Amino acid sequence: MFKKILIANRGEIAVRVLRACRELDISPVAVYSEADAAALHVRLADEAHLLGPAPSAESYLRIDRVVEAALKSGAEAVHPGYGFLAENAAFARAVNEAGLVFIGPSPEAMELMGSKTSARRAAEGAGAPVVPGTNDPLDSLEEARETAARVGYPVMLKATAGGGGKGMRLVADESELPSAFDTARSEAASAFGDPSVYIEKAVERPRHVEIQVFADTHGNTVHLGERECSIQRRHQKVIEECPSPINDANLREAMGAAAVRIARAASYVGAGTVEFLVSDVTRDFYFLEMNTRLQVEHPVTELVTGFDLVREQIRVAAGLPLSFTQEEVAWAGHAVECRVYAEDPEQNFMPSPGLITSLRLPTGPGVRDDGGVYEGAEVSIYYDPMISKLATWGRTRLEAIERMRRALDEYAVGGIKTTLPFFREVMRDAEFVAGRLDTGFISSFNERRAAAASKDAPPSDEETARRDIAAIAAALRYSEPARDGSQPTPAAPPSRWKLSGREALHRSRI
Amino acid sequence: MRLNAEIDGEKVALEVTREGGRVSAEVGGRRYELEARGVGAGEYLLIRGGRVYECRVGAEPGAEGRGALRVSVGAREYGVRLTDPKHLRGAGAGAGEQGGRAQIKAPMPGKVVRVLVEAGQAVESGQGLVVVEAMKMQNELKSPKSGHVSELRAEAGATVNAGDVLVVVE
Repeated sequence: MFKKILIANRGEIAVRVLRACRELDISPVAVYSEADAAALHVRLADEAHLLGPAPSAESYLRIDRVVEAALKSGAEAVHPGYGFLAENAAFARAVNEAGLVFIGPSPEAMELMGSKTSARRAAEGAGAPVVPGTNDPLDSLEEARETAARVGYPVMLKATAGGGGKGMRLVADESELPSAFDTARSEAASAFGDPSVYIEKAVERPRHVEIQVFADTHGNTVHLGERECSIQRRHQKVIEECPSPINDANLREAMGAAAVRIARAASYVGAGTVEFLVSDVTRDFYFLEMNTRLQVEHPVTELVTGFDLVREQIRVAAGLPLSFTQEEVAWAGHAVECRVYAEDPEQNFMPSPGLITSLRLPTGPGVRDDGGVYEGAEVSIYYDPMISKLATWGRTRLEAIERMRRALDEYAVGGIKTTLPFFREVMRDAEFVAGRLDTGFISSFNERRAAAASKDAPPSDEETARRDIAAIAAALRYSEPARDGSQPTPAAPPSRWKLSGREALHRSRI
Repeated sequence: MRLNAEIDGEKVALEVTREGGRVSAEVGGRRYELEARGVGAGEYLLIRGGRVYECRVGAEPGAEGRGALRVSVGAREYGVRLTDPKHLRGAGAGAGEQGGRAQIKAPMPGKVVRVLVEAGQAVESGQGLVVVEAMKMQNELKSPKSGHVSELRAEAGATVNAGDVLVVVE
């Protein structure tokens, strides 16, 4: 087993990997940018190496600097997390060439599955159904126009090197194509260094269901069932669950078998995820793409199967066989995850970077929080604004949802806007509770919400009191001298004299 | 202390008196007698007839002025804007349209990646003006009205702060 692992990432995933290292008695090495000098993953590590300035292109995406840090630290292996260099075959190759172990699949498997077009061909070869569209990157707007007309609108523009919703655009008709084509290409270029995009027919009312696969170097390839990730904004997942509310053992078996065939066809090793679109009407499924890395939403699978996927990744990278067989994989209960973002759900999920002035995390039965921040930490404009993943487990889906409602209500973040209020409402939405999901969920949820608000029901006495008390609390704060650094006053602690003076003030009318 | 409050867009008059651990208040004509316990900076535990209201008050992210506050009461959040009638503080109008003049501001700190219009150019409502990138997402800022570009302050490649005026359409 390894003695030291370098974690080539930041935020919650760096902390997640670090925790697995600790449990295996492996010394974790962090890397960081100038913006992250006091980040949580640095604070928890044994060693930390500076990569460069804040922009990720000058720090977390610098292959040479990461490899140099790994060699300098004496680490034997590198865990890429997700995002940044996690699906970059050149990085995996550079790590291998430096004599280190890359914790993930081979660069060849990453190249095959990392390009969506070659992945589609591989999936077709493995007998998995695919969505109609091109297999090749589009060179010109003219070509895009022809392809879109051939497969029929609506279509999806997607970045060939993409993921995470970046460089992805839904195009309803031809008039939207030119500007969508330009934006998608430019977003793809800035996110992945490659502007290529391709076109797929957009499946209407699709559910996004993915299969977790795992393979070792001893020829074992297994699947750990599905995750439902239909609730997305800007084509990025925000709520995930395991199992899917469809919870159909036959469908799981069919999709699992297809995912294992695809992984085998790619000679895949390690943790991977095969994404499918499932028609909510016919329950037909189509291969979408394969993510050759640990997924953001892996905790829901861990909660339901009981396996530690990061621990398993490290074991497999060290050459050990999987610690379980397909027959030993069982699914107990239900797990739900909410990605808590520093974003304003009332302003179309606009990022809300800034200082976290207060933070209270939920705990208690069935609650797991994978976070990367702390009270006093800064949510930077340079990186993804996710601050934590809150997951709950229950014996049934409803129990998991009830725990999530309770945990979300306990969760308090000050100083920035977060998606917590949005999740609190979704967890009480009748359609969500009934499990009626598709990737258009957020817009239909917003319509239901607007319709409910326009009914103009008079607020209850309790609602009125709560709102009035909000105004009273605001007035109490307003009447106190600023203490949070928002005023240009020195941050020296107040003297006892001043404190007693303040009490005297409070005794008087304010 | 007498204040005017605007809570989630609704205006009420507010009078609050604090004496140590007791708070008396009148909000829009409704009287409140509360027990107040300070539990941290900007945190108040307010109790009304045995009922617990855990409140947290902080500056409204992205807003200017001491009176722009974000308040959570339990798990409910409110945007509260306080103005002191004696000072007429914060009485200035907000951003956006003023007398046929629309200011397009950067909604968040980021980088201008593309400028889609030229100074003086005629634009239609909904037309894209500038593309700003923040947190790896590109957002096209659109014109809220038809008119012409009277001022163009955005420059491709420039770093901008939240609230910076990028384009003015008249």
